Amino acid sequence: MPSFDTKKIGEIHRELHSHLPSDPALRVKALESLLVEKGLVAQESIDNWIEMYAERIGPKRGAQVIARAWCDPDYYARLMEDAGQAIKDFGYEGHATEHLKAVQNTAFVHNLVVCTLCSCYPFSVLGMSPIWYRSAAYRARAVKEPRAVLAEFGVTLPEAVKVRVWDSTAELRYLVVPERPRGTEGWSEAQLAAIITRDSMIGTQRDLSLEPA
Amino acid sequence: MDGPQDLGGKESFGPIEVDAPDYREDWEARQWALSKLSSAPGVTIDWFRHGIETMAPSVYLSVPYFQKWNVNNLALAVDAGQFTLEECVAGHAAERAAPAPVLSKDDLEEMQRGMAADFSRPVEAPPGFAVGDQVRTEARLRPGHSRLPGYARGAEGVITAHHGAHLFADEGARGLHVAEHLYTVEFRAGDLWADAEGPDDTVCIDLWEPYLERP
Repeated sequence: MPSFDTKKIGEIHRELHSHLPSDPALRVKALESLLVEKGLVAQESIDNWIEMYAERIGPKRGAQVIARAWCDPDYYARLMEDAGQAIKDFGYEGHATEHLKAVQNTAFVHNLVVCTLCSCYPFSVLGMSPIWYRSAAYRARAVKEPRAVLAEFGVTLPEAVKVRVWDSTAELRYLVVPERPRGTEGWSEAQLAAIITRDSMIGTQRDLSLEPA
Repeated sequence: MDGPQDLGGKESFGPIEVDAPDYREDWEARQWALSKLSSAPGVTIDWFRHGIETMAPSVYLSVPYFQKWNVNNLALAVDAGQFTLEECVAGHAAERAAPAPVLSKDDLEEMQRGMAADFSRPVEAPPGFAVGDQVRTEARLRPGHSRLPGYARGAEGVITAHHGAHLFADEGARGLHVAEHLYTVEFRAGDLWADAEGPDDTVCIDLWEPYLERP
């Protein structure tokens, strides 16, 4: 069982830092070898996880969810009420999405999601987070200067548009619902899903292009 | 704790690498797999996060993200008695056990779906606050793990949602399963930062009741 002792775990971290090889690839190999040799994880399962994750879990899932919400007012209402439940229609529930909350961009509000304390992310609907989302710069700056951050992503907000930043401090996770672009009237869910980007669901993109992402 | 993880509002990190890929190195995807496929016995999500927070700030801020996960997985396993420090340094187990069963991609997709975890719990105590209430966050720093970011300590905001009671992170990092009422609190940027770029922009933070008081 864990000690749940702050001083003890800090001491173990210092010991490991002084004695492990500095190359992170070797450190990961050490963890992998220990787990495999102790019969806790099979080597093939690790390879299978990496392939499964790359092939099956990713932002295409979130895009399909949002495309349906754009097309189906009842589904939209359910998504806004309880996104963690609504994604179960697609079987997309999983890691870090049980308490998922959808937040809607409007002509007057732009939503931006961050986790300043670690890097919480709705993995099961968006897949692996981008490196910048996990970076110190994004985590530090998104809450204090969201407009400057957005400008680096090419988003310039009029002053009339208010920014609402969501800092994911508990087990709620946030999914931004971008505005449906003009010129997509009559499009199918599949056509719409193709133009919805990962960044638009984090909030670092605002206007979607009509060209597939 | 006032650890290196509490980055909100810290300055001088420079521009964001907006075009960076999901992974820079193959070992990062591998570490992600190892973290999701294994955990030392009894580890809570809050103890996992707290472990990373105890890294020396100079190390925390200088190593790649998944390297922190890697050393933390090793540290938590040593702490729980699953690995020894010597085994971690050697990179091999002192004794070999029977191999684990192989999980197929379909098995793993199902496992991923099963990771949906409900943190809400029933509690007897009624909520102390309601939507629309003005609240102030506590100004003093709590010992151990806390999910009240430093930039929002001693700040006034408005409750915009009540989520029922959820397992309280501070106690989870002590191995205890205690639920407290959880709220979303919206803060005006101008109340958080003297030099806010848009004073009426807001930051919403999910906070448990023990962090909050009436102003």
